[in-house]
Amino acid sequence: MDAYLLNVVNGVAYGLLLFTVAAGLTLALGVADVLNLAHGSLYVVGGYVAWAFTDGGWGGFVLALLVAVAVGALLGAGLSAAVAPLSKRGHLPQALLTFGISLLLIQALVAMFGADDLSPAMPAALDGDVSLMGHRYPGYRLAFIGIAVVLAVAGWMIMSRTRVGARVRAIVDDRDMVACLGTNPRLVMVGVLAASGALAGLAGALGSPIFGPGPTRAHDIMITSLVIVVLGGLGSIPGAFVAALVVGQIEGLGPLIAGDWTSYLVLGAMAVVLVVRGPRRLGLAAAR
Amino acid sequence: MRSPLWKLGAAAVAVGVMAVTMTGCAGSGASADTVNIGWEYPKSGTFQALGIDMENGFNLYLKTHHNKLGGRNVKLVPADETDKPDESLKQAQRLVEKENVQALAGIMNSAALVAIDPYAQENKIPIVSSGGRPDLKPKQLDGVWHTGSINEHGGEAAAPYIKKQVDGPVYAMGADYAGGWPKVKGFTKQFQKLGGKLANADGKPEWTSFPKAPDFQPYMNKIADSGAKAIFAFYSGTQAIDFIKAWASSDAADIPLYGPNLTEGSLLKAEGKSAKGIYTPANYSADLDNSANRDFVSKWTADNRPGLPDLYAATAWDAAQVLDKAIKAIPAGEEVTGEKINKQISKLGEISSPRGDWQFDSKTHAPIQPWYMRVVKMDGNKLSNVKIADLETL
Repeated sequence: MDAYLLNVVNGVAYGLLLFTVAAGLTLALGVADVLNLAHGSLYVVGGYVAWAFTDGGWGGFVLALLVAVAVGALLGAGLSAAVAPLSKRGHLPQALLTFGISLLLIQALVAMFGADDLSPAMPAALDGDVSLMGHRYPGYRLAFIGIAVVLAVAGWMIMSRTRVGARVRAIVDDRDMVACLGTNPRLVMVGVLAASGALAGLAGALGSPIFGPGPTRAHDIMITSLVIVVLGGLGSIPGAFVAALVVGQIEGLGPLIAGDWTSYLVLGAMAVVLVVRGPRRLGLAAAR
Repeated sequence: MRSPLWKLGAAAVAVGVMAVTMTGCAGSGASADTVNIGWEYPKSGTFQALGIDMENGFNLYLKTHHNKLGGRNVKLVPADETDKPDESLKQAQRLVEKENVQALAGIMNSAALVAIDPYAQENKIPIVSSGGRPDLKPKQLDGVWHTGSINEHGGEAAAPYIKKQVDGPVYAMGADYAGGWPKVKGFTKQFQKLGGKLANADGKPEWTSFPKAPDFQPYMNKIADSGAKAIFAFYSGTQAIDFIKAWASSDAADIPLYGPNLTEGSLLKAEGKSAKGIYTPANYSADLDNSANRDFVSKWTADNRPGLPDLYAATAWDAAQVLDKAIKAIPAGEEVTGEKINKQISKLGEISSPRGDWQFDSKTHAPIQPWYMRVVKMDGNKLSNVKIADLETL
């Protein structure tokens, strides 16, 4: 029985990690209408930044988070400039361009950091094991649950209680009307992709002890994030939140219940959602 | 500006380039005192980190042997194997058709070997590979040699040792792909033959997603609950790091963990203290006490190669050594061809190697070699794989 409870807790931690990554992706898609396949490589950039700046102390950890956010935001803004000329041409050209950019980014990272997977040195207080219901469990994952909840609440407050958030939600509903009201859509696009990139960078740095930096990680996290975005409904942040937690539970309980079928469950869930909901109800440009 | 004169100039340059390229081609053909070797290893993709170890071993052999193999000057033509077998084959075709190589060496990925095999046989170009080696049929083996190990052998050699050390059932699991199955089944088959039982609920090994790594933490809680007295697992690369970190931070850490490749080469650095106490069966250990290995390790260190050599470096070193010995057996003054190299490899006897002496099995074209059990522990101030027991020769 304890294995089930432990795996439920673990599923929450893993699901929240997936949410911090997928939130930025779905934000870019919902608000800026950009399908950003370089999102996974921005996550990995955050991980490499964490490896470069962490030194086992709190100073290095905080510095790593700040730098990861800054670098992520810069790269996100850069991406918005790169996809700007494609804005009228739909998602496929965007996907091709951002996928190409992600390949270049990964090669650049390998040139800088080498081909090995790396492990950042987290502060000792976060790094050790703790006793959870009498069982050994990685303390960082518990800490991560706390951090991710704070992030999710902060994100929700910004979106629901601030003028910027109201404007962003308005864009999702009616882009043209918001433009008529005097908001420059170009500026919004840069801002949203920068925020999305910053979130990816932060997730990469925070997630590095769980899903660390390495040349193959960008594709893995990208696929899972896309699945979550589809499950949650394209562009919906609350949807992504629920979907990420569900995927976390599937990954956690799957090995106990489904055995070798576990690896197919998440993709299976996506297939079911696509069939039941149909492309029209997925929203946005997919149906256009 | 774009006058006819400009066009004429461009044409002249183009013709010049073509002329140079053509002479280049003519000059790269085989002769009595040079030999062209196609050196194909993963410079990008999933296997890139392993490719670096491989390149270090092969390259060190050439560097410490005056860049000669069998007394002939070597023109080493490198190519990127990548992690896509189609591309691996294209690169091999380029090496054979454009670069006139007389032999192919390297090749990390089992699937790449399978893809290149028929092409190389058709063109009578021998392969001396040192990465993964799947089960090949006898007709696929003509001219195809391997200096690493057959995928099943590590687990098979470890089974009797684990049966003796462990009093109870063993949980078996691995990555769900063609490279993972034989690594785990090599163990489970032999272990069950010796009367051992698996702790897995259905009595069969558990397979986990590949190449995308699952979250391994849930599996550990399951294993801790299974009553297993030991774990046997195969993972490599990124997955090995995730697997071992999850193991070390769970109740499963109280259960001894065995498995091939888990802590090989640069993986150990990323795994850090999580890897302490992990047992790995291997055909090489940097601390082996024989003169060939002392020589190999001291050359490695003297040449400032990273850390200590791992098994990918040691088996690539042996691939160069095999080519060296085979080419040396071709009488001086005779042109070196693929067929002659192949014929001489088949006549090689015992090879004195850093991993201990071995020779080619005339049936499998892979080494019959000693196996070792190693454990990760502090060696001086660094974590290393340290040999603790001799296993069978397979």
